[in-house]
Amino acid sequence: MKTLAGRNRMALILLLLAGLLSIMLMLLPLYRFSASVYTKKSGNTFAGDEKYLEVKAEVESKADQFRAQGLLVDISETVTERTNSKGEVTSMVAFSVVQTFTKSILSFLYAGLPSSRALWGMLVCMLLSLILSGAGLIGRMDLIPKYLDRRSKGLRSLSVFFSLLGTTLVPVFILLNNRCFWRRLSLYEQDLLTEGREEFYALLDSFLFQGKMGEEAGTVLKNLRMEHSPLVWVLLLLFLLALSAAVQIRYGSMKSKMLRIFLFAFVIAVCVITLYPYYVMLITAFRSNAETLDMYFLHLLPTSWKWNNIIDIVNRGVPRYLLNSLAIAGGATLLAMLCGIPAAFAMARMNFKGKKFFLGFVIMSQMFSPVVLLIGIAQLMNTLRLNDSILGLVFVNAAFNQAFAIWLLRGTFSAISLEMEQAAKIDGCSTFGSLTRILLPMAAPGIVTTLIFVFINAWNEYTISTVLISTSSHKPITVGITQFSSFNMIEWQYLFAASLLATIPVVILFMAIEKHLTSGLTSGGVKG
Amino acid sequence: MNKGKGKGSLTPYLWMLPSILLIAVFVLFPIAIVFKLSFSEISKAGVVGGFVGFRNYVDAVHLPAFRTVLTNTFWWVLSVVGISTLMGFIIAMVLNQKFHGRKLARSILIFPWATSLVIQASVWNYIIKYEYGSLNNVLLNLGIIKEAINWRSSYHVEFVWECAVGIFVTIPFVAFCVLSGLQSIDESLYEAATVDGAGFIDKLFTITIPLVRPALSVSTVLNIIYVFNSFPIVYTMTKGAPANKTDTMITYLYMLNFYDRKKGPANALSVIGFLILCLCAGVYMISVMRKEEL
Repeated sequence: MKTLAGRNRMALILLLLAGLLSIMLMLLPLYRFSASVYTKKSGNTFAGDEKYLEVKAEVESKADQFRAQGLLVDISETVTERTNSKGEVTSMVAFSVVQTFTKSILSFLYAGLPSSRALWGMLVCMLLSLILSGAGLIGRMDLIPKYLDRRSKGLRSLSVFFSLLGTTLVPVFILLNNRCFWRRLSLYEQDLLTEGREEFYALLDSFLFQGKMGEEAGTVLKNLRMEHSPLVWVLLLLFLLALSAAVQIRYGSMKSKMLRIFLFAFVIAVCVITLYPYYVMLITAFRSNAETLDMYFLHLLPTSWKWNNIIDIVNRGVPRYLLNSLAIAGGATLLAMLCGIPAAFAMARMNFKGKKFFLGFVIMSQMFSPVVLLIGIAQLMNTLRLNDSILGLVFVNAAFNQAFAIWLLRGTFSAISLEMEQAAKIDGCSTFGSLTRILLPMAAPGIVTTLIFVFINAWNEYTISTVLISTSSHKPITVGITQFSSFNMIEWQYLFAASLLATIPVVILFMAIEKHLTSGLTSGGVKG
Repeated sequence: MNKGKGKGSLTPYLWMLPSILLIAVFVLFPIAIVFKLSFSEISKAGVVGGFVGFRNYVDAVHLPAFRTVLTNTFWWVLSVVGISTLMGFIIAMVLNQKFHGRKLARSILIFPWATSLVIQASVWNYIIKYEYGSLNNVLLNLGIIKEAINWRSSYHVEFVWECAVGIFVTIPFVAFCVLSGLQSIDESLYEAATVDGAGFIDKLFTITIPLVRPALSVSTVLNIIYVFNSFPIVYTMTKGAPANKTDTMITYLYMLNFYDRKKGPANALSVIGFLILCLCAGVYMISVMRKEEL
């Protein structure tokens, strides 16, 4: 079995090796560029005829000029033959002087591109990680990491931190380059974006052509093509290797800590994906209409925040819809609780015939979301003259949340001990009194959870409202927002500004009950 | 369980009366109406005629889109419930670990659950637009793709997207159900298993899964019912177009009743859907009742 010092030495060597290998990789010509620096088209020319030779000589002399400047160029020619309407064959020859050249990753260091900064970061991180690990090991080669002093612990932790940072910078570097040469350049090329074009072209000119293109840079860069070898991703592997070596030095064992790093990465990925639609909703809500339809949008945030969107939707009836939603959800919650609390109380505290039947009945009714009964409900509301009214929605929402409310409340009530109520009863308190004065205050957290849950369900309800409500001034917000998306035109910025207003309150409410949710959710249903 | 009031007293029933009334009028009555209508002749304007036996059912089954809609509904429920259960389970396992920011991560995960489905569907609609959608924009700007991708090139793909959005909004519910199950597991069980030399896989199959099963089965059955009934996602993203190729049962019967005005077959479909749900509910009830001690 290897000694601890031996293992530490191995890890340090590994770290060094990873650093050296990545430097070597960075020196390889992995980025390949091609740009035609000069093109000449000659119409009515056949390959090999007099005119062809003439033009070819001209192009060759041009190419020689470039070679004299120290550029590596090739001449490529394409011949296009066509038969015109008179049946004669015409031909055109196009010559272009194509410069192909390669760049190593390291040459991006002084390019002044956004990726250059990431590259500097990678190098510095790798170096720091190496130095810090070395410093953290000096004199403590064979000490179990658990018993290390704070200084070397800190040094080694920092080393892990820097190698982690460096590792995340590798994809950043590669993607920044892609963005630069694929996205930005093609937008400039198609004249879809103009801001910052001159500076960008000057940068690329000095990086790729040592500034020799000058005035011509624009035309040359228009047909610049960049490809990178898949080998650049090996760099990521090398950095991961360095990371694991740093972790080995810090914690003495790699497995659990690497697992932890992956766990964090997983959680971050899940959070990013979850938040992504909300980010889109937020930024779109504050963009101008033109910007929401702009596929060439290059920014993370709106270029200018259009707070006017909020004023516009206020003028288009959104406050009314929000109030309607509040009335529907509030009314439904109140009604559901007023009916549900006594029922849950009876089921938790009393014994009677048919209790099991009633419980089954409640669970069954929980099963039918109103949607499958859509047509029946519409018909019923017609008969009751409750269609197109807020009151009708209050009743439907209360009824369909009844099951859930009883279920949750019964679980809460059953979990509370009987003693207090029995004592109150001996003191002459009525059943109603023991419910309102003793049980309800004790069950407050469960009641609040139920309350909020029913409220959110009713607030977010869409299907029944869309069927029952036709008058605009009675619409809840979920139905009201659909006016911004008609069949042929969608006003995204208004749609999402209104959505934002509809979402924020319920998300906050939901976060407030999150802690009780995990226990309340199954306490009623599963454990009984 | 204490006796409270003696058996035979009316009091408990009085306590439950408001609740029973509410459910009877607004849940049971519509069921009765749908059943009655499904056996009656109904004109396009909604005038109810006489008893026609099973003719509406026969009409419903012979609708040209019936098969497509049924297959779609099947895949919709299967994929959304199946995948969201699997992913929700994994996420719950991760969120049950102790780490910094766990509370924050849980709060973030709850977002899709708290958001109205019609809003979620609208946002995703915008995200996957070909011409200016956010997804293409982000991927292009990150340099991950070179050309904009048409994310909704055919109705098959659109249906897959609808399922994906369904999965996205369902995961939090499953994750929180499983999380509540995981939290009730005694830490010492794992410690004992570790002492016995059990690995991660052993612990997963001998401790975690059996003990989480009740929570998982509740969430699965509830999900089947919610997902089956889900209307806003499909309605907002495609409205079932083209030609009901992306419709599920619920959106189809909505269109049938309120747009095509084929009210007879729509009611019949409603009853069919209702019976399918009854079946699920029955299974659920039996499994819950078995655990209840009443």
